[in-house]
Amino acid sequence: MSLDGGGIATGGGVRFLGQRRAYWRLLIRGAALLMLTLGIYRFWLATDVRRFLWSNTEIAGEPLEYTGTALELLLGFLIAIAILIPVYAGIFLAALDLGTIGKLSGVAGFAALAFLGQYAIYRARRYRLTRTIFRGLRFHQQGSAWVFAFRAVAWWAVTALTFGLAYPFQVTSLERYKMRHTYYGDLAGRFDASALRLLLRGFLMWILVIGPLAFAVVVFVSTIDWVALVDVLAQGGDDMMSKIEGSNPNLGGAIVVGMLMSGISVTMAALLYPAFQTVVLRWWSSGLRFGAIEVQSRLRMRNVYGAYARFVGYAILFSMAMGIIAAIALGVIGAAASIGKMGTAGEIAATLAALIGYVIAALGYSTIYRATVLLSLWQLGMESLQLSGLSALEQVTATGQPSSAIGEGLADALNVGSY
Amino acid sequence: MNVPVASGAAVYFDGVTSARHDVLVVLKPAGLQISSHDGRPLGEWPYGELEELSAPDNLLRLGRLNSTVLERLEISDTDFAAEIDARADLVDRTGTLQRRQRLNVIAWSIGATASLLLVAWFGVPAIAERLTPLLPVAVERRLGNAVDMQIRAMLDPRHSGASFDCGKTETEVPGRAALEKIVRRLEAAAALPLALRTEVVRRDEANAIALPGGQVYVFRGLIDKASNADEVAGVIAHEIGHIAHRDGTKAMLQGAGLSFLFGMLLGDFVGGGAVVIAAKTVLQSSYTREAETSADAYGAGLMNKAGGDARALAVMLDKIGGATEPGMKILMDHPETKARVAAINKLAAAHAPSAFLDPAEWSALKKICGS
Repeated sequence: MSLDGGGIATGGGVRFLGQRRAYWRLLIRGAALLMLTLGIYRFWLATDVRRFLWSNTEIAGEPLEYTGTALELLLGFLIAIAILIPVYAGIFLAALDLGTIGKLSGVAGFAALAFLGQYAIYRARRYRLTRTIFRGLRFHQQGSAWVFAFRAVAWWAVTALTFGLAYPFQVTSLERYKMRHTYYGDLAGRFDASALRLLLRGFLMWILVIGPLAFAVVVFVSTIDWVALVDVLAQGGDDMMSKIEGSNPNLGGAIVVGMLMSGISVTMAALLYPAFQTVVLRWWSSGLRFGAIEVQSRLRMRNVYGAYARFVGYAILFSMAMGIIAAIALGVIGAAASIGKMGTAGEIAATLAALIGYVIAALGYSTIYRATVLLSLWQLGMESLQLSGLSALEQVTATGQPSSAIGEGLADALNVGSY
Repeated sequence: MNVPVASGAAVYFDGVTSARHDVLVVLKPAGLQISSHDGRPLGEWPYGELEELSAPDNLLRLGRLNSTVLERLEISDTDFAAEIDARADLVDRTGTLQRRQRLNVIAWSIGATASLLLVAWFGVPAIAERLTPLLPVAVERRLGNAVDMQIRAMLDPRHSGASFDCGKTETEVPGRAALEKIVRRLEAAAALPLALRTEVVRRDEANAIALPGGQVYVFRGLIDKASNADEVAGVIAHEIGHIAHRDGTKAMLQGAGLSFLFGMLLGDFVGGGAVVIAAKTVLQSSYTREAETSADAYGAGLMNKAGGDARALAVMLDKIGGATEPGMKILMDHPETKARVAAINKLAAAHAPSAFLDPAEWSALKKICGS
């Protein structure tokens, strides 16, 4: 028996067959039901989305299969609630304590939840992998979620302390851990990308975003007479601001520079974000390995910018539509108020209308984002892959068992979930 | 004419290795017979065990129900797929089965939401009501101390510390004694299980607040606005009502209950946060409206019991409330002033009231925060 699937000959071995229209329909219906069920429908929507993305992604002529179910996600969420209630109750009780424990409870609670969040991310990945079937075999993931959580939290701290410069090393380390413990059947995965390479590719972007901020800090430090400032602050009093200005004549200028530079930094970050995403996604994909199978990504930056441009276009159209509806609603309410017919029932109706409007707007933007940016990133990311060594697919043997959805539930309850 | 398709080509994965097999599938009366092109049999799948799995639209992907081995059979010929669909009950390419399941989910979710709102409206206050008396006074005092730290930090943004409290310097001490006289008379009538601590603080609003554990803060603005000591006493009696009913603790329990109900069980979809906050605000203001009404009744009763003039509380409320009337009723945490004044006046005893302070003491109280 040989590999005779036509898919391998076409392109790099990966195709995406999903219809945008079908995905839009799925998401819009999902958003409506989310609102109607106050969010309980999210487990069904997430399952539908994954089914759509998986089954429309064809590797070597064979579509992936997602076997997870919404009920599994719901159960995972309920288990997560059972675990988190005592944690939240503990934090609440500790906050009532007056001594050091009470003061530390906020920090300790935050740390515990951050840790649990990373734990959940690893466990959720395990769930998704074991629900991914390809050619009659499932993927699976070993390794300890606690070890991963510890490494992830430590790396986040390092990345924060280096203002993001350690990010390539963080991703490399964490991806190595994940991929080293990832298997397709008995075919072991690994991650073969160089952190230094990502650092070099992203360094210019880092300078453009952090540079203006650093400049502002330097200006502040050099223009302000710190001794005088501390004196004024120590004295206190009502006219503190004028005293500060008196002792530091250049403060106003420094503040203007600071605000200008922060503005430049934020603008740069927004404009460069698609480029950054492209660089990371291309670098990350190209590092994926399964046995002899190697991956190379040829993702193009302009396609990613195109996806964001579509998002902006749809978002503007949606905003205009919402604006017109809001104007009409305000007109009606204003008319009702001027006649003086606004009883308690009217107030409740107006509040409800505003609330529903807000929820529709929020869900609308999120739906547009998912249907444009996220779908495009999936499609472009997949279609730009070049796979080599696919003949290894002939001799993989089944191993691994499905895992529980508790990680998904925790991730959902802690707001760290994705797809 | 439609010729029934009796056999067709398919792709088969045995679930043990990843090898892809091109196979021939024959429709037998009881099930599918799978064999390789050279005639080697690969298995028989009864129609009742066929399960349709997630696949792209142009592909029918079959598995075997409840099987631990991930055997897969994939048919891309639409006519042949339709023949199998017609024979297997669980294969349903039109999606009717799935739609019915979804409708079930949606109906029950809406039911769950309705039940949740009912619990929030009736259940949470009822539970807090029953739970609060079970809390020992020592715990409540501890709670009160924690709240006190936060409240003081909020009320006293300059962190002036001790000088934030009035009645400490030599000129202010007589005012402090006058305040003590009012509080002692009310406290004797109230017979609370815990000791009251009352402070006048340097805030310009005409207001007073009660914390769990017996701490009462009277704002300087209230004393400035009062025209006699009974009006101040009336407001303190109202605040004692909150302490006797343990409203602060109750509110904390209610808040925790609502946060749990809405934050944990619901939410976590985009825009859900706003729904949670709005629901909490509306519900909590309805809880506090009730608490205010019953504290008014308690305050009036306490004034009667202490031999004071309950109407003074109504007069003071009218003075404070007049300015803060506009706004949405469902968001207001206090009931309408007119209704409160009428209710208090109804409760006022007919006896001739004795004043809480003589004129000299009253003018001392007026100077409790300096001139």
